[in-house]
This record gives sequence, structure tokens and C-alpha cells, in this order.
Amino acid sequence: MRKELGSFVLGDSTKCTGCKACEVACFTVHSRQQNQTGKTVGTVTVPVTPRLFLTKFEKGCMPVQCKHCEDAPCLNACTKGAISRTDHQVIVDPEKCIGCKDCMQACPFGAIALLPYAKNGRVVAQPMSPEPKVFACKCDLCQGIEGGPACVRVCPHEALRIVDPEAEREEKNIRAAEALLLTKNWR
Amino acid sequence: MNYFVKGNPDLCIGCRTCMIGCVVAHEGKRIFEIDPDSYTFNPKLHMVKTAALSVPVQCKHCENPACMAVCPVGAISQKDHCVVIDTDKCMGCKSCMDACPFGAINMVPVAGKFQADGTEKKVANKCDLCTGLPGGPACVRVCPTEALTLVTEEELEEAAEAKRKKAALNAFSENYPQE
Repeated sequence: MRKELGSFVLGDSTKCTGCKACEVACFTVHSRQQNQTGKTVGTVTVPVTPRLFLTKFEKGCMPVQCKHCEDAPCLNACTKGAISRTDHQVIVDPEKCIGCKDCMQACPFGAIALLPYAKNGRVVAQPMSPEPKVFACKCDLCQGIEGGPACVRVCPHEALRIVDPEAEREEKNIRAAEALLLTKNWR
Repeated sequence: MNYFVKGNPDLCIGCRTCMIGCVVAHEGKRIFEIDPDSYTFNPKLHMVKTAALSVPVQCKHCENPACMAVCPVGAISQKDHCVVIDTDKCMGCKSCMDACPFGAINMVPVAGKFQADGTEKKVANKCDLCTGLPGGPACVRVCPTEALTLVTEEELEEAAEAKRKKAALNAFSENYPQE
């Protein structure tokens, strides 16, 4: 079947222990694309910028990340055209992003953070300011990264999964249909 | 209590007339007159066919809807015995789709509306019990084998009450077989 909806990664607060392995893995695989960093944290020379955010709340913890909405408020809010839909996913172009924070405000999940942009092993500076260039940092479902979402792969508790919404919906439909057999004599 | 439409797998022949009835009810009869590519065919119920059965599956209009609980923008609400989606508020995050255990919600393109980058805008789509339409749910009306029923709170309560009476009477007969 033709894939029509964006997939997304979903955390499970009943399994998550808050170890942040997902955040580290996320930063590592994305950083490797643009920075010559080693394979251990000690060799990292740039700020750690994960694209999902381990969130602690009253009852537990879980990573929160982008849902790749189908009428994405962040995309619609971006005046600069830095956010676009690529292969069904919502993707930020860090080169185009000017850090206006509109997407961050538009996202109802808090799935976007403005974090320093690093390239070739160093933080990108901006003219006339001591502050580094920042960009809207959010989940890109590890597009172009071998093996798919790194967070899902590294989680030691399997607390993260990739959701293919349409495929899961169809599976649930079948279960619901089978349940109708059990309730057909409800009167 | 909310109402809901229920399919009977014993009666359903999988003809998909309910799906067409649903689209006609929500889109109008023009779908028969215009180019099939110029509108989106988005029924609000899903025909399930397996080796063992065929039956449409649609929203159960839960009393504590999981979809409503997870919606980050408050686009889902309960009114007039029905769980409804405000498609103007919906921004297609798929949280409801993931939360619904029946797979009753899907995402459909909104005709003529686009996101800022020109790609299709999609929003959540599910059974609204044909709210506001005369004659009640179209799927129930059009089914040729009468496999779909609108279940109301009154009917559900009556059925449960009747079953309780029968259970009590059976228990009574067991204790006093001579009466």
C-alpha cells in the first residue's frame, strides 16, 4: 500500500527509566553527519543537541518528540520556508532557519528546541554577536541515517517504537471486527 | 451516554454500500456527477474483510474517549451523544489515531487546503453519527442486509436490564424448581 502518512517515534512512560540513551544516540548519529566526532562522548567538541527530549513529569518520564503532523503548525508558522515535508516527514533545514522561535511556539508538544548549530566540529558563529547561530532542533526520524531512528535502536528498555499510523490502524480494525463477533447478540 | 453504530458480521456481505452512503451523506450527491479525481473519497467507517468475517468498523463514541484525552489542541469533544472532531482545530498530529484501540480514526486530505509548503493538509476523520443530517446515520439507512444498527443509550440499558431479569429468573427457577 502507498505510504501516505508521516511516521513518528513514540515513547512509552511505563517502560522508560529516564536514562537519556535516546538523547545521546540522537545527538551522536546526527552530529556524525556534519562533524568529525569520535564515537564516545569524551571526544565531542560541540554542544550536545538531541532532537528528542527526555521529559520528567509527576508520574514518570518519557522522551517527547515530533509527531510529524499532517497539517504541521510548525511548518505553517515558518515564514522563512525552513520547514518542509520531505518523504512524508516534517524536516527543518538548519541553514535556512533564522531562529525566530515561531515553530517552537506553534508546536503543541514542545517537540522543537532552539539549540546551537554546529558544523565541521565547531559551533557556527554569527556576525555581530557573541552568541552562536541556533536552529530549530527537532526529530527528522533519522532520515538518511542507516538503520532508522537511533533512539529506538539504543533504548535498553524498548520504550520507543516507530509508529506507522495507517498500518497500525488497519491491525486495530481487524481486532475490532473480531470483537463484533463476540458482541453480536447484545440484545 | 453516547450513541454508536454497530455492525453485525453475520449479516454483512462486505458490499461497501455503507462507505458510499457515508461519503454521499457528508459530501453530497455531486460525487456521482463529478470527475472521480476531483474529490477525495473519505468514508468515516472502515470495511474489514478477513477469511472469517466481513464487517464495517467505526467509532464507538466511547464514554471516556482516549482520542479526546490525547488531543493536544482540544479538537475532540462530546456533544449530543456523540464524540466529534473539530477539523478546523485539528492539525493532523495522529495522536488520536494512535490512541484509538479500534482504528476508527484515519487522516484524510482536506480538499483545496494546503500547508505552507504547498503539500496536502490532512486532518483526523471519523464517524460523527451523521449529526445534523435528517434520518440519522446514512450507513444504517443504506445497508441492503440491515447489518448496521444505531444503538442508543435507552436500547443498551433496556437490553442489559432484560438480561439481568432473565439471569435473576433463571437463578430463581433453580432454587425453586416447583414454582
